Amino acid sequence: MSQSAVALPQLRTANPALSFLRLIPGVLLLAAIGYAGKLLEQNVGKYAKAHHWTFPNIEYVLWAILLGLIISNVVGIPEIFRAGVATYEFWLKAGIVLLGSRFLLGDVLKLGGVSLALVFIEIIGAIAFMTFLGRAFGLRPKLTSLLAVGSAVCGVSAIIATKGAIEADDEDSGFAIAAILALGALALFTFPLIGHALHLGDRAYGLWSGLAVDNTAEAAAAGALYSDAAGKLAVLAKTTRNAMIGFVVLAYAIYWASRGQAQAVGNKAAFLWQKFPKFVLGFLLISVLATYQFFNREQVAALANLSRWAFLLTFAGVGLRTNFREMRKQGLRPFAVGAIGEVVIAGFTLALVYGAQYFFHW
Amino acid sequence: MSTLTNTAAAARRRLLSLDGWAVFLALLAALLVRTGVVKHIPW
Repeated sequence: MSQSAVALPQLRTANPALSFLRLIPGVLLLAAIGYAGKLLEQNVGKYAKAHHWTFPNIEYVLWAILLGLIISNVVGIPEIFRAGVATYEFWLKAGIVLLGSRFLLGDVLKLGGVSLALVFIEIIGAIAFMTFLGRAFGLRPKLTSLLAVGSAVCGVSAIIATKGAIEADDEDSGFAIAAILALGALALFTFPLIGHALHLGDRAYGLWSGLAVDNTAEAAAAGALYSDAAGKLAVLAKTTRNAMIGFVVLAYAIYWASRGQAQAVGNKAAFLWQKFPKFVLGFLLISVLATYQFFNREQVAALANLSRWAFLLTFAGVGLRTNFREMRKQGLRPFAVGAIGEVVIAGFTLALVYGAQYFFHW
Repeated sequence: MSTLTNTAAAARRRLLSLDGWAVFLALLAALLVRTGVVKHIPW
């Protein structure tokens, strides 16, 4: 699968015990990089202050991503680590479920309700604009569909889900994934700068990054780079977007089947359940339990800390799987379409957030 | 060879998806914290 050029491969062997053992070196590498990021956050500032240097306070999130980027792009990731490094999405999902303990159900319904309304508008706007852009640039129709889904819903997962449903080829999905990953990496550095320049509050910024950044890991990281509260909101908004994946993929599957270029969808309810991200249900369950005080205050704090550790591994993985050399090989046109689309979607979603602030008096 | 492949494929089908495992592990951790097996997780 050409996806391996931009995303780390998932190793599959017949022996589950062997598969598990193969994960250990990479998971340890994620933990080591994440923890190094945490140590750097604590100590670099102190060292600079002690030597009377002016040095910005860099959060562990950015340190972990930067260390991962340096290793991936300068040294490369040896084969022994690859399977374990690819587990960063697993830690992301576990972290999101545990983050549910920090949301009371009322907050989820209120903020999730606002998010849902904005997500609905964002998805329609993003798909319409990306489809127009893909046609204007003369991209292959299925590549345009993949880029539209990747930008509108949830990045790489959405592209992989849609690829199977519309029977797109490996090359198209490779292009789309490369474009989405490259733009996600760019968003990590640009979004916090824009947020600070516009003096966005934590809630507005978190909502914006959850709506506009495509991949869940990058959206969580872009939010956490701003503040802890913004990170929470970014994950909530992004999770709401993720919950829409089944509907969008189903719509595309029906569209391409009607044109005779993909298999017809049989049981639509089963299709939706298959594509639905189950971690959203886990997040809601933990949130309900926290709301009804199934956990006491110390236990909520422990679960929140566990969620932070899981995100730490994710952020290290975001840096490690971003390889600029491999991305360059994928060509310029899909990237250009993605970049123009992302800039417009970022502006559009920012306007939505300002609108929500105005109407809901945040 | 084909039997081995089929057995492995069947075993994989029985296992949870990535999402399923993430939810399972997170809920297990929550249960361990709730029952007091794990009392404190530092940050």
